Amino acid sequence: MSKLNATDIQGFVLRGYNLPVARYLFLQFEDAQRARSLIVRLLHKVTTGQKWDAGKPASTLNIAFTHLGLVALDLPDATLLTFPVEFQQGMKKRAAIIGDTGLNSPEHWDECWRTCPIHAWIGVNAQSSQALDAASADLKTLLEETDGATIVGSQDAAAVVIDGKPTTREHFGFIDGFGNPDYLGVERSSQPGQGKLMPDGSWAPLATGELLLGYADEAGELPVAPVPHLLASNGTFMVYRKLHQNLATFRAYLEEHAANYGGGKEKLAAKFIGRWQDGTPIELSPDRSDPSIAQDPTRSTNFTFGADPGGTRCPIGAHVRRVHPRDAFGFASKLIDRRRITRRGLPYGRFAAEGEPATDEEDRGVIFMALNANISRQFEFVQQQWIEYGNDAHLGNEKDPLMGNHGGNGRFIVQGDTTPINPPFICGNLPNFVELRGGDYFFLPSITALGMIAMGLVDPR
Amino acid sequence: MSNINGKVYAMNAVTPMKPWKTWILRILFFVLWNVKPLQNDLINLSFIEFARWVILPRNRFPYLGNGQVKEDLKYDYLLFFSNFNGTWNQYIDAFSAVLSNGLNMIWRWSEKFPGSVPVTPFKAYIAQVQFDTDYYYTAYPYAAANDLKSAHIVQSALDNLNQRAQSCTPEQFADAYLNFVLQVQAHLGETGEAPVVS
Amino acid sequence: MPNQNGTVYGLTILSPIIDDERATPSHDLKIREYLATLPTGEESPFAIAPGTHLARLVVMDDVIYVGAPSCEEHLRSKYLVFESNCDSDMESYLRGLAASVPQHLDAIWSHCVGYPGAANVQAFLDYMTSCQIETTFFFAAVNNKSVTETLTALQTQRAVADFIACHQGMKSEQLQKEFAEFMRMLKAAPVPRPGGQAPRRDIKTGGRNE
Repeated sequence: MSKLNATDIQGFVLRGYNLPVARYLFLQFEDAQRARSLIVRLLHKVTTGQKWDAGKPASTLNIAFTHLGLVALDLPDATLLTFPVEFQQGMKKRAAIIGDTGLNSPEHWDECWRTCPIHAWIGVNAQSSQALDAASADLKTLLEETDGATIVGSQDAAAVVIDGKPTTREHFGFIDGFGNPDYLGVERSSQPGQGKLMPDGSWAPLATGELLLGYADEAGELPVAPVPHLLASNGTFMVYRKLHQNLATFRAYLEEHAANYGGGKEKLAAKFIGRWQDGTPIELSPDRSDPSIAQDPTRSTNFTFGADPGGTRCPIGAHVRRVHPRDAFGFASKLIDRRRITRRGLPYGRFAAEGEPATDEEDRGVIFMALNANISRQFEFVQQQWIEYGNDAHLGNEKDPLMGNHGGNGRFIVQGDTTPINPPFICGNLPNFVELRGGDYFFLPSITALGMIAMGLVDPR
Repeated sequence: MSNINGKVYAMNAVTPMKPWKTWILRILFFVLWNVKPLQNDLINLSFIEFARWVILPRNRFPYLGNGQVKEDLKYDYLLFFSNFNGTWNQYIDAFSAVLSNGLNMIWRWSEKFPGSVPVTPFKAYIAQVQFDTDYYYTAYPYAAANDLKSAHIVQSALDNLNQRAQSCTPEQFADAYLNFVLQVQAHLGETGEAPVVS
Repeated sequence: MPNQNGTVYGLTILSPIIDDERATPSHDLKIREYLATLPTGEESPFAIAPGTHLARLVVMDDVIYVGAPSCEEHLRSKYLVFESNCDSDMESYLRGLAASVPQHLDAIWSHCVGYPGAANVQAFLDYMTSCQIETTFFFAAVNNKSVTETLTALQTQRAVADFIACHQGMKSEQLQKEFAEFMRMLKAAPVPRPGGQAPRRDIKTGGRNE
């Protein structure tokens, strides 16, 4: 395959920046010409995938568009119609399909997601709040000068800081961010367990086309993509979801149910997720967390479920087993290689450590962003079939214990064995620990495509 | 008038075959039927409730007289009827990913079959040769093939436990019950509605 | 025996539909119209008559032209396809249909060439036999359980899950007593009706049947 041109791909796609603070701005365009002039001004500011040999920049900037945004930018109809159906519809219209009903339905979303049409997302990541504010101020100036767009929504997010240092913990207390897939040609520190499983048990990177349009994918072809080629190549699709976390409910539920569970509260939580709080996979260490595994990149994602078909180490319905089944469905990992997503994002809201008071109403959660070449085949599939449903795991209608839209009726079964610290255990009446508060589907173009859009040079054929 | 009823999808497909190729296919099906291990992958994919292939030779279309005009065809036809769980895309993706050799073996004798890999032209072919169901009934719309298999496992384990329960002490029963729970703990998924597809 | 897989029978019937230019709407459209409003749940004729696991009715208009260099050709009749996965053998199954739901059979098949009506059962069986196509290869995920056994097992599965969930950590004596009571109630419970939907849940968790 051809070598990736990192300067043409937005940096956000190729790597997580590991910068501690971020601000996501949501824009609306009124006039195509003024909007395009804004994008022209932004072009050289967009962070590419080029390596940072001179150290991390103070801030980064990336941009993506909804279908409505591309319409507002006056792209030709013939091009607009070649975008996949789910992207054209937008996430709100797909609610029934991906299970965003009940507490997650659009009528409960934040106002800007419920009402305004959102045309573009601008992601600013920065080293510090000052750098963030400076970058935002620059952006606002540009917006005023070009009168290119209005900001209709804004979301701040930041890594949880513990003892003065940014961590990758999320609000329930778990270290997050494991398992982003390896792709051919994308340079990053790869770890065994992130790619696809080969027949001999080793791990290989996934085809580039699972992340980037214009490259061969795991099905041995170029993924379905909008035309013209130049608009789609080196671009990808992004799913943005604001996931509110009901911290009080989560803690209370665990407290109540762990009282009857032979393994104790920490283990029960680990059974829900599939990892201990420090990230140790319970498949590798079923009885206790183990920093020697969690902090070792050759081990922390290096496991399969083939030796645990009964779920006695890692429950069949546990979160990590649901979203990345590895070899659990047989046929090596062939049935799941085309269902992988790259996750970006940061928590938002005040962190409350274990023991500190917290309520569900407080604004906290995680900004979840998934990058994939095909939203319906990758993100939507995982959400619809593996999180809000359980048939592939032979679990009928059961939902993901952590993320599922339970509505108070959910059930999670911890498979066990005859040892007293690992008994079979059923958790019923699962509430929603996580609630959706908004989001949409975006197209993250390459730098070339961005230029084409900015100059109004998109030509369908 | 829908292809879907609860968790199951009714797919119908008809493809033309040059009559000399039909015999090859018959032999292949015969082998597949009698050499059971060849069916293992199909069984392990576990989302088909029932499926059948029907070879319809060109001179075997039912002819009942009474004014019916007899058929005069060049091709034999292969009919395919599947009852599967999951979405149309999911079904074809899975087969293309892991059972492409088997699919090719059956459909390569059909005219203009493009091969089951890569998946996009394969899906285009299926869309072309698929025709829609007018009426679809299932006795258990809320249960997928996996649910059925699990249910039978639970029933059988329960019957065993019940037999023993009559004649044990409470302690013996507690032991037998724990073993029962371990036997069924991966088979208790709730049944219900299927995810919405569109 | 390709039509049979274990205890399940794969019945494939292709009935030529009457071609009468003077009929408005045409016979195939009349079949379609009837099928469009026929219930597919507990009130389905296939739920009322015994032994049907899964069944479908499809009006096959024509064969499909796959494009050059293949030859284009067309069927001279339309056919009503009846594909059924059922318990027992063909004759008992069809007798069951003729006995329980003759009005539906007549409403559908009266539009087909040579259909004698379900009242004369032998003639009906002969007609179906003359329309039967041999299933070449028949696959079944579960091939050894009847419809009744399946519905019972599904009910059991649900009841067992609830029982286990409610009896965690219970003392042995009480567990044994309550288990005996549970078994009594389960055995006395009627077999769920075929074609029925799952028991209602309070909150819609995101699913819709068509």
